[in-house]
Amino acid sequence: MSAGLIARHEWRRLAVQPFAWTLAAVVLAFMAWQFLLALQAFIDLAPKLGGLKDAPGVTDLVAIPLLRSFSNLLLPLVPLVTMRAFAGERRAATLPLLLASGLGNGRIVLGKYLGALGYLLALVALVALMPLLLSLGTTLDLGKIAAALLGIAFFTAALAAIGIACSSWASQPALAAAAAIAISSLLAVVDAGARLQGISNSGINWLALPTHLEPFFRGIVASVDIVYFVLLTAVALALAARRLEVLRGSAD
Amino acid sequence: MIAAPTLALDQVGRRLAGREVVRAISIELARGEVLGLLGVNGAGKTTTLRMIAGVLAPTSGSVRLDGADLYEQPGLARRRIGYLPETPPLHAELTAQEFLAFCARLHGVARASVRAAVDRALERCELGDVRRRPLGALSKGFRQRVGVAQAILHEPDLIVLDEPASGLDPVQALKLRALVRGLGQDHAVVLSTHVLPDVAACCDRVAILHHGELRHVGDVHAATTTSLRVGITKALRSEDWRTLPMVVAAEAIDVAHWRVELAPGSAIDAFAAAVVAAGFGLIALGADGTPLESTFLAIAASEAREAAA
Repeated sequence: MSAGLIARHEWRRLAVQPFAWTLAAVVLAFMAWQFLLALQAFIDLAPKLGGLKDAPGVTDLVAIPLLRSFSNLLLPLVPLVTMRAFAGERRAATLPLLLASGLGNGRIVLGKYLGALGYLLALVALVALMPLLLSLGTTLDLGKIAAALLGIAFFTAALAAIGIACSSWASQPALAAAAAIAISSLLAVVDAGARLQGISNSGINWLALPTHLEPFFRGIVASVDIVYFVLLTAVALALAARRLEVLRGSAD
Repeated sequence: MIAAPTLALDQVGRRLAGREVVRAISIELARGEVLGLLGVNGAGKTTTLRMIAGVLAPTSGSVRLDGADLYEQPGLARRRIGYLPETPPLHAELTAQEFLAFCARLHGVARASVRAAVDRALERCELGDVRRRPLGALSKGFRQRVGVAQAILHEPDLIVLDEPASGLDPVQALKLRALVRGLGQDHAVVLSTHVLPDVAACCDRVAILHHGELRHVGDVHAATTTSLRVGITKALRSEDWRTLPMVVAAEAIDVAHWRVELAPGSAIDAFAAAVVAAGFGLIALGADGTPLESTFLAIAASEAREAAA
């Protein structure tokens, strides 16, 4: 309830600032351009595909690549949305308003998190509309697209939690964004060396974000991948709540 | 049965970064009282206010609201305390009305009562004309008043104001004093300030903090002055003043002016008559600062004496 109040307040604050609208416009324009390029390439390729047995369809050649490309864009995008959650409040000296509200640290963090996540999931939904619109003229593998969207939702949730944690630890929004981008990118490539050597099932592979996101793009929804994203989210949010306790005693 | 005071601090202490910032403070405050918290920079005022406001848990002792421990029942802070930090915590992109509506919900005001609570706070703080303007476009004085409005809109039992007059012009400061004085009639108010006239004008009691310790608690208006500034024409030595029975100490300010300390309870007219009778050539007589000022400066000066010792 209280977390919901803070989340709604965050949405209201985003709605009256040009930043959120500009960011959404740029992201949607970029993704629309990618979508049209992929669609044109598919149309050009379609006559050749017609002669192939089990040829990939529009889902595999347009929808999933578009969502995969969007997941890459989320790595720098999410920290831009989350960076001001706490660092911005500290810079504007407005954090005491929440700290003095009698709400626990967990609820404050959860409210901020849901505020950022709501905006980000709205962007995911708008991007998802692009390939889904193709269902008006062709047949899509909706199950596969649903799995990919579920994966992107978990991925976004984890990145948002990392961003919120970084925002609670940094005193400046730019620093929070830089730290979140660095940590997310590190998690994205942490197993690159192992993969180059052909290792794909070691502990370090398990740590990497793509290891758990890629199965969703193939239409596989596995509990191990869901657990990974939920764990990552929970640990990041717990760290943010822990940090808030320290901030209660600091001068700013 | 005696009712518990609205606010009771019992041996409250707080360590921050390994340093004891506040030590064993005990204060009580009832509804209808305004307590001024005085202290030089670094005295521990803000840390004490944060503990009173429910932001920062004490490492020792307890903070009680009507007998209930604030940190065992954190929901109390939400409903029953209004807190204005040193910098008003305003979301600049929102209008005063939107921001206060959020604050009302944050403080547990029922959805149906939010509008009435916001209207009441806007009216009380004279913000009606700017209610639809973004907070970022308001002047410092208006922002400060919105800060006070967010602290009072849920009609809390206890209002905690940290330097509310900081940065205001004299007219705005006077209005704020009147507002705080008015709040003190229905609520318990704790006010932190550097400005001694604010305490004299707004507060019933004063607590002076120094180096994290409570050095003085007393009524603002109870004490009468015993320290006088005296102008004379005759050249005197300190011992000459001691010939007057009510004088306990005298210190030369310059050739023609003395700071004279009278024994407690001495009548000033009797002192003036004695100076005239002694033929000192009295040309001026006045209080050497207010009693509050004397007490505050004496406590602040103890730092220098402690350092020199």
